[in-house]
Amino acid sequence: MEPIVELRNLSKTFGSGEGQVAALQHVSVAVQPGEIFGIIGLSGAGKSTLVRCINLLERPDEGQVLFHGKDLMTMKNKELRMVRRKISMIFQSFNLLDQRTSLDNICFPLELEGVSRSDAKKRAMELLETVGLPDKAGAYPVQLSGGQKQRIAIARALATNPEVLLCDEATSALDPQTTDSILKLLQSISRERKITVIIITHQMSVIEQICNRVAILDSGVVAEIGEVEKVFSNPQSAAGRRLVTPDVALPLSTWEGPVARIAFNGNMSEEPIIASVAVDLGIKLSILGAGTRNVDGKAFGAMLVSLPEEEEKRRAVLDYLNGHEGVTAEVIQ
Amino acid sequence: MFDLFSDPVKVAKQLDIIVNEFGFATWETLYSLVLEVAFAYLIGLPLGVLLVTGEKEGIKPLPKPIMTVLNVVINLLRSVPFLILMIITLPLSKIIVGTKVGTMATIPPMVIAAFPMVARMVESSLREVDHGVIEAAQSMGASAWQIATKVMLPEALPSLISGCTISVGTILGYGAMAGIIGGGGLGKIAINYGYYNFKFLVMWAAVIGLILLVQIFQTFGTWLGIKCDKRLRNRS
Repeated sequence: MEPIVELRNLSKTFGSGEGQVAALQHVSVAVQPGEIFGIIGLSGAGKSTLVRCINLLERPDEGQVLFHGKDLMTMKNKELRMVRRKISMIFQSFNLLDQRTSLDNICFPLELEGVSRSDAKKRAMELLETVGLPDKAGAYPVQLSGGQKQRIAIARALATNPEVLLCDEATSALDPQTTDSILKLLQSISRERKITVIIITHQMSVIEQICNRVAILDSGVVAEIGEVEKVFSNPQSAAGRRLVTPDVALPLSTWEGPVARIAFNGNMSEEPIIASVAVDLGIKLSILGAGTRNVDGKAFGAMLVSLPEEEEKRRAVLDYLNGHEGVTAEVIQ
Repeated sequence: MFDLFSDPVKVAKQLDIIVNEFGFATWETLYSLVLEVAFAYLIGLPLGVLLVTGEKEGIKPLPKPIMTVLNVVINLLRSVPFLILMIITLPLSKIIVGTKVGTMATIPPMVIAAFPMVARMVESSLREVDHGVIEAAQSMGASAWQIATKVMLPEALPSLISGCTISVGTILGYGAMAGIIGGGGLGKIAINYGYYNFKFLVMWAAVIGLILLVQIFQTFGTWLGIKCDKRLRNRS
């Protein structure tokens, strides 16, 4: 199938000289029609720049931005504006017009297209229904909660019957329950209206909940791309593992000896591995910190353990641990 | 001024001036004020919009030389003291309104003095508009013209109104000074009768009239600005 949105070899650099930041480096991503595609990365990874390149709010320094195979980069202003009506966007800060009611906010993109006032109003009322806020037509943004504002923003984004919906950290300013309901709404909209959704987030839970495929962005580079289950349950890249494995911080304790970080990537057997070290090697490790995360029924975890002082024993422990499938051990102190 | 209280004839004469001339003077002040504000905004509002939209990161960047000239002209006109600017530009009135004397003749100099201030007021109001909202409009395929007229100006309306209130106050002050070069109104009365002819009662009455006008405009402007602002939760 021809991808609906395809980014080819995008690069974007901000600033110049010493303060130069390469926000994107040769990024290529293809999104299929109808899918919910996630782009995840830590802050500063270039996610927002990437999503802004899809509708050219940000113009990449090089590369191609294809929508239905047509390159937006070579389009004239007017043509680009027409395409933008087919690629809607919602934002972390909602970006509603404060001086307009909910209804008029939803009418706004229709007004830009020159749709008559009465038709626009009718369509806006339908959309208010879709997002579950038919009673808020006359409310101004200041009178709405964060979740309600995002619902209005979604209704506004749908007004022009877009084919693609870009979500830039759309749930990052919302509490967990509201996030959940917004994600469910996005999912049902995608399904019912056959809209391709591209979600930018730093929250794994968002990707897990509704995305089909995911790209992991790390320092402006696509570290990994694939189906959510595969990528999250068996991350191949260092960035992917960092993201999936919960972060375990060394407690501010008095332990000054060597420390190892053991990561479990979900594929390990149920073997009691620390006990095994004690039994098989006769070395007792103490656990300094641990955390786990359940991804798709698999346990991802990380553990910090003390290591013996002697070089030889330390080697033995690390080799032993690394000899197990799904376990990675490294000395961090 | 205190001899007023010992000479009833002088007081009567001055009261006579106040009663007979204040009505027309107030009318003249308001009449020229409305024309001046209207023309100052006719020129200043589009310029203020250009100052924001035309800059490098704006929604419709203009060539740098144009922006530089625009900024220099505005700053230049703003830095010349009003009285001097008024005298320099008075000859223009001959061309524009056909006369160098009288109330109408003072209007072109006043507009020239006021529009750069209006442009800056509009500029600062428009800069308050959240960039995210403009970005959202761009993402919907809005043109620069649509963004300016449907997003920036309406979103900045409360601030524009409060800027307009300030402009009206300042232009009213200019108008009073225009009395010196023959502009009519309360300013002329204060200067001609009061200051030049030692009729202090008339002068103070004119000054109080001007103060009242400023008070009225300011109160109305503030009220209107608040009424228009949909971001204030307590009204709906």
